[in-house]
Amino acid sequence: MTMFHFFNCAILTFGPHAVYYSATPLSEYDTLGTSVKAALVYLGTALVKLVCLATFLNVSESDSFDPYQELLKALIGFIDVAGLYFALTQLTHRNISQNHKFQAVGLGWAFADSVLHRLAPLWVGARGLEFTWDYILQGLEANANLVLSISLAALGSLMWLRKNKPRTLIPIIYACAGIVSTMPSITSYLRRGLGWHFAEVVGFELFVSLVMAFFSWQLFSTCQKPSA
Amino acid sequence: MGKRRLKAVTEYIGQRKPLGGLLFLLPRIFSSEYKDSAGGDDEKPGKELLWNILVELERLLIHANIRYPVYFAFEDDKIDAVLADVKRNDATGLPATATTGGYKLVVTAPEPRKLAPPTMTNIQGWLPGLKADGDSNQLPTIAIVASYDTFGAAPALSVGSDSNGSGVVALLEIARLFSLLYKNPKTRGRYNLLFGLTSGGPYNYNGTHKWLRSFDQRLRESIDYAICLNSFGSVDNELWLHVSKPPENAYIKQIFEGFHNVAEEVDLKVGLRHKKINISNPRVAWEHEQFSRLRVTAATLSELPLAPELLESTGGLFDNRHFVSEAAIFRSIKLVAESLARHIYGQQGKNVNIFADDSSLGVNPSYVQSWLDLLSRTPRVAPFLSKTDPLIMAMEKELEVHTVEVNVQHEVLDGMFTFYDLTNAKLYIYQVASVTFDLLLLLVLGSYLIILFSFLVITTRGLDDLISLFRRPPSRKVKTA
Repeated sequence: MTMFHFFNCAILTFGPHAVYYSATPLSEYDTLGTSVKAALVYLGTALVKLVCLATFLNVSESDSFDPYQELLKALIGFIDVAGLYFALTQLTHRNISQNHKFQAVGLGWAFADSVLHRLAPLWVGARGLEFTWDYILQGLEANANLVLSISLAALGSLMWLRKNKPRTLIPIIYACAGIVSTMPSITSYLRRGLGWHFAEVVGFELFVSLVMAFFSWQLFSTCQKPSA
Repeated sequence: MGKRRLKAVTEYIGQRKPLGGLLFLLPRIFSSEYKDSAGGDDEKPGKELLWNILVELERLLIHANIRYPVYFAFEDDKIDAVLADVKRNDATGLPATATTGGYKLVVTAPEPRKLAPPTMTNIQGWLPGLKADGDSNQLPTIAIVASYDTFGAAPALSVGSDSNGSGVVALLEIARLFSLLYKNPKTRGRYNLLFGLTSGGPYNYNGTHKWLRSFDQRLRESIDYAICLNSFGSVDNELWLHVSKPPENAYIKQIFEGFHNVAEEVDLKVGLRHKKINISNPRVAWEHEQFSRLRVTAATLSELPLAPELLESTGGLFDNRHFVSEAAIFRSIKLVAESLARHIYGQQGKNVNIFADDSSLGVNPSYVQSWLDLLSRTPRVAPFLSKTDPLIMAMEKELEVHTVEVNVQHEVLDGMFTFYDLTNAKLYIYQVASVTFDLLLLLVLGSYLIILFSFLVITTRGLDDLISLFRRPPSRKVKTA
């Protein structure tokens, strides 16, 4: 029953996005448009990243960890952050509270990421006869990615949209944002440089995403207190 | 695989239990890619047993009516691991779960199609003798014949190193030796030599029959006698000369004595076996019987003491390079060549060694070995050998080197059997998860999503909202009431 397996992995990968949208007040305020626009911005940034990678990176035959290449990849990863900035600040939104704006943007961002990176392998691979744990792990990774995207969007909105921030917290905010945005480089270092298995890397990602979500939640609520 | 398991297989096939398919894993030594330094001269008792089991298995498979496909594969590390896993799970009796031993074997192959009636290719080489003052056709002819094709339960594995690879190799070496002698008119004998590589051996020597029918009457009458070569590769020192004419016949006596005398020198024993031909019986067990039916004196030299049944000893699964002894083949070649030469040059009974070892006329071991290796790598079941098959071209070219005139004849095999194509396929083994695993996973995921939903509703909208989701209809009823 391999279509069954595909269905299982699909709901693991894309279900949480739908659940998040319907469970939180996002659905009540009809922020779907924002999410869709954020998804389109993600596609745009992905294209730009692709072009940059193709131009500047030389393909290495071995699967080892090359520091110079990884540094270059991390720098190109910052284009992601730029895209998120664009989505948060430049897109014209209806009158939505800031609280919901970052959630919608993060949701749209994560959904586009999942679809782009995980739908094709799922469709091609999970329907085959051979059973592997890979697609379930990929689904868990998508979940971690959702949490990370929302945290990054929260930190981003703190950095760029909120003008009155307590001075002491600013470096912490930037530090957390830095960690979250360099997650891809960290995971690839773990997989290639240290030789972790996919399952271990996914576990690490889930752990980090929960920790980062907690931190950003705390930061967001403390920043909200003075204005409340 | 022991005798016990062979019995189990026999029962299984006999009871006609419905199976998806049957897969036999052969030991690695049967694979053509297996290189072993130990040649066929070792007498390992394990090998003997294996050999006997395979002979019986092949006989069973050929004669049974099996409704599902039977596949043969070779053991290697990966399939051994899969097999060990399956055995382990079978022993503990656990049902297949995601990571332990549910395997699905898939063979991707198209539906087999019927093949056109097979073409048999007979290759003959002619070495003319020293003409006296008359026509060379008046010189008597000696024919040396060997059939080269095989038959087995698995056509792609029927390489027939012994039956009849050894015969073909012997014929080529004898052709080479006599071509050396016949090159020089001073050493050319007063007999023509006709070498024949025939096809259709397993099918009552149909190819030989058609080849002989195509002969000119004069040629057929000029044949003094024909020697058919069949299987010399086993280690035993005993060969048999099978004849159809009664042993009291003077000519047969002369031929047999010629062989017998040389045999002692070569450390072999030759016995005489007589089998009468029954014209009404279509079964032709030896190649010389086709000659005898056309009144040509002929004999078959073989290591087999008794006439094989139909489709027996036709070079099947078990007939592999590793079971063939090259030393036995060398001795047999020497025997035949020497006996023929003494007859041709009139040196019977004299103490003469024409093809002495280490002389320029000695049997060339590397020639024999390289041809034997080639034949042992090439399956030669007639329906799958086209007219222009590389092996047939190679044998034709080889005879062209050694003989003066080469003719190739193509005939169609009489419709005794229908052949279907598809001798090779790829086997894929997948590790699969059971349906219960999928259902379990669905359950887990469903509950995860529900928990996630509840968690998010509680944290963002409050617990009351969650409860209100389930209580909305009753509250409306209260309102209207």
